[in-house]
Amino acid sequence: MRAGLVRDLAAALAGLGLLIALPMLFPQPALRDFLIYFFAYGLMAMSLNLLVGLTGLVSFGHAAYFATGAYAFGLLMQSGLVPIPVAALAAVGGTALIALVVGAICVRLKEIYFSFITLAFQMFIHSIIVTWVGLTGGDQGLRGGIPRPPFLGLDLNDARVLYATCAVVFVLCILAMRQVSQSPFGYTLRMIRDNPARANFLGVDVTAMKLGIFVFAASMASVGGLILALFVSGAYPEFAFWTTSGEAIFMIMLGGMKLFLGPLVGTLLLQTLNHFVTIYTEHHGLVLGTVILVIVLGLRRGLADFLFDAIQARRARRAAALAAAAPAAFAPAPLDGRTV
Amino acid sequence: MGTKTLSRAPSRRQVVGGLAAGAAITGFPHIAGAQAKAIRIGMPTILSGRVAILGTSSRAAAQLAFRQINEAGGIGGRTLELIDRDSKGRPDEAAKVTRDLINNDGCEIIIDGEASSGAFAVHEVIRDLPVLCVHTCSETSSLSADPKLHVRTAFRCARQGIHDAVAGGTYAARIAKQKGLKRWMTCSPDYAYGRDNTAEFLEFAKMFEPSIETVDQVWPKLFAPDYTESITKILQTKPQAVYSALWGGDLVAFIEQSNLYRLFSNVAMFSGGLGDPPVLTAIKQLPPGLNTAYRYNRNYPAKPANVAFADAFAKVAGHEPTNWAWQTYLGCLFVAEALRRTGGRTEGSALAAELKGMAVAAPFAVGDAITMRDTDHTIIGYPVAWGRTVPKAPFVEDFSDVDWGRIVELETQWKKGKGYA
Amino acid sequence: MNLEALVDCLSSASCAVTQVSTGLIVGMLLFLVTSGLSLIFGVLGIINFTHGAFYMLGAYLAFTAYALSGSFLLAMVAGAAGVGLFGILFERFVMSRVYGRDILMQLLVCYAMILILDDGVKILYGGEYRMMGMPDVFALPPVEIAGGFVPGYYLFMVAVALAAGLVLWLGINRTRLGKIVRALAINPQMVGALGINTTLLYAGVFGLGSLLAGLAGALAAPIRTLTPGMGVSILIESFIVTVIGGMGSIAGAFLAALLIGFTRAFGAIGFPLFVDGLMFALMALVLVVKPSGLLGREAA
Repeated sequence: MRAGLVRDLAAALAGLGLLIALPMLFPQPALRDFLIYFFAYGLMAMSLNLLVGLTGLVSFGHAAYFATGAYAFGLLMQSGLVPIPVAALAAVGGTALIALVVGAICVRLKEIYFSFITLAFQMFIHSIIVTWVGLTGGDQGLRGGIPRPPFLGLDLNDARVLYATCAVVFVLCILAMRQVSQSPFGYTLRMIRDNPARANFLGVDVTAMKLGIFVFAASMASVGGLILALFVSGAYPEFAFWTTSGEAIFMIMLGGMKLFLGPLVGTLLLQTLNHFVTIYTEHHGLVLGTVILVIVLGLRRGLADFLFDAIQARRARRAAALAAAAPAAFAPAPLDGRTV
Repeated sequence: MGTKTLSRAPSRRQVVGGLAAGAAITGFPHIAGAQAKAIRIGMPTILSGRVAILGTSSRAAAQLAFRQINEAGGIGGRTLELIDRDSKGRPDEAAKVTRDLINNDGCEIIIDGEASSGAFAVHEVIRDLPVLCVHTCSETSSLSADPKLHVRTAFRCARQGIHDAVAGGTYAARIAKQKGLKRWMTCSPDYAYGRDNTAEFLEFAKMFEPSIETVDQVWPKLFAPDYTESITKILQTKPQAVYSALWGGDLVAFIEQSNLYRLFSNVAMFSGGLGDPPVLTAIKQLPPGLNTAYRYNRNYPAKPANVAFADAFAKVAGHEPTNWAWQTYLGCLFVAEALRRTGGRTEGSALAAELKGMAVAAPFAVGDAITMRDTDHTIIGYPVAWGRTVPKAPFVEDFSDVDWGRIVELETQWKKGKGYA
Repeated sequence: MNLEALVDCLSSASCAVTQVSTGLIVGMLLFLVTSGLSLIFGVLGIINFTHGAFYMLGAYLAFTAYALSGSFLLAMVAGAAGVGLFGILFERFVMSRVYGRDILMQLLVCYAMILILDDGVKILYGGEYRMMGMPDVFALPPVEIAGGFVPGYYLFMVAVALAAGLVLWLGINRTRLGKIVRALAINPQMVGALGINTTLLYAGVFGLGSLLAGLAGALAAPIRTLTPGMGVSILIESFIVTVIGGMGSIAGAFLAALLIGFTRAFGAIGFPLFVDGLMFALMALVLVVKPSGLLGREAA
């Protein structure tokens, strides 16, 4: 067992404990609601960062998989044939399959062209959802609610159980993503990001690696989608619209790409900002736009990255100061010693 | 990036800090005090983007209604307070703000100003948190007609697709018989509402006038800016009449672009959405003689109360009332009357019991009152007339009404066919 | 599929004229927007996602100018020049600060600008539908050409778009300034080293690209509905055109815009339900087969 894994497990347990404890300390339902949205969008942003930050694949179409997860799960539950865990696994598996097909075409393209083709596929999936009214309900979404029959003694109709289940799933997914990013596979991806030619030269099958992370990231995004579908009891074509992908990118940028959990910081920031700005004004576009401009032009990086860099710089400064101070502080001593 | 060791400490701390910020949300001082005099009514709606006018005009109508009710003494001394939230046209956001309005802001009643998918999302929230909810913008029939979707405390105070289809079909069949219009084409937006609406219109038109024949159909995209290829297709096909379910800004563009081709000099136009005053006023050259369904008109039904509403609304909003405006205003009247009857009690089930079958003498009633039907929680007795355009305000005249008894009869048949009844 | 109808149409002069003109009408306005997008990408290497919002701004500026002055000419100038100026300011104070950074930073800045412009327009003009109205000069019956009908305004619109495209093409390929701009796209350091003010040139090119979007917006104002957020659909369409034609290629943008226009015009007759799917499929196909687009330079 890696030492890192133990630490990750401990961190995950602590995080889960915190997430479970919070609604007990603040029992208002609004906090639970807020956190469930945070889980859903957080998973999308985190998984997108596996592509953007880890592998250097800037996908403009990640929300497509968020949506397929939500739709597949919702449709399976509405069929009434399977229990929740089976529907969830099937939704994730189905999404992985779609991502495998789409990814096999997309990952062959480089840089901006990769971005464009992922966007094209997302718009394609969106138009399928809107057009296939018989299956998806078209623009009106999956109607009639998604049933939540009890399973394994868990009744998800109880808001607290629903929340706790979502929290567990969320933490498990984050942990899985952490393991992937820390694995040799993860380091290969970093190499591909930094120097694909070198990776290729070293015998790495770059295309297969990219496809692998593409499918994994899509699966994780689909978990986010199904959490949201479970919570709002429906799935809507807006999940697959390009604005949803844009928002995920936005969360990553707001939080930062350097830290593993940076996208979560971004998700939290955007959700909080959105929550309060919408309460106070209908001109949230103006406010949000201004905030983004200030962050991008002022900090020139995500907030978590900014803090990270600032801490790094301070440590470096302190180290430098220590190094500089050392002779100054210790120099008189021998002198004193000599005088004594 | 050398983050594998250093990344941990700051990131965990940030998450904790962030969660603390999240926790602060619940401390937001929007919880009404126990002795609060105001009854809070929440309104999720769309205030930004292409259909912002849906939300802004619905909100203006609700503000107007509540102000009038409050000035008249409120509900047993308690005032009504509106709290509106923008869902940005996103259904998951609509669900979220609705939950927040109920859980966080202490709203005891929801007036839902969401369109299509957003309304279904709000509907599911109400299933979960059973306060009284009145949908005032969704026209999709299944929202109230499909018993599987029924929610005990949710009502629709808006026109319904199937009612419009029967009325439109009846009117179209009559004109078709008079003028010998046999070859028909349709030009409707390519989404669920556009397709359902068009199919139902044609179904009833053909039922009443079997000589009507659909020669072709074009389906421009929803929110398409340009309709030239659809218009030239109509020119090529040379139908005698065209039905269109286009609405809002799309319809404005379609009419203006058709004007360039002088389309309406040879083709009879039947529109489901043209009767909305903001559409009529936006069109610079409104061709005379186009047939349109009633959406709103200050002169129809010809009642002083209706003109008074239009004047008061125009003062608040700066433009004529929209279809969504009268529906929301009426929804507020229903809510206020239900509150009066419960003596100010706001439990969802108590209010719902009062609303079932309630008749309100509204300015918009064709007869004496508009009724909230108790079986499927939707209104009947509202104007479903068709009229013809004239180039000057009030733009539509010569309204001819369709008998509600007949509409309900055909609606029942339709429900049976769909397996709803 | 209805190939018979398509063949019928092509064999009748009136139908052919109407449909060809439809293709031009749809295509040329799209070309005008896309040429600006492509120009900016070709020279500055950035994707201006605010281009759709600039188009909207042009339409609203023209709307206001027309309402104040009643002159369509003035409205066009106001729309084009106003947005051109706005573009220069945007480039100088915002966009130039994220040059050379991540493409995501540029995307984010553009996203912020779209939010601000959409909201700004809503605050100033309200959410109502607006229509500028057809200038009296063009309030004529459609012109008859070989049995087909083409509205006078559309003839004017297509002519202006073609003229703008031609001037742009000549300017880039036949003038000294054009040569410098082309050099700037390939080796900005060298251009700078020759004592040419590249900062000014960048701002100028960005302004010119924005001006084209503004002009397209002004030309659209009499026939298309003005609403906040009207730039979104045009952005996506022009994006598809740019990708198909080749990023940075004006001629490619022209070709692809015509392709889309004719696909829509004749597709409406031959295969009505498949036009949108066809556009996405075409874009994906081009990306897979030749990512640099029909007439784009091969990526390095």
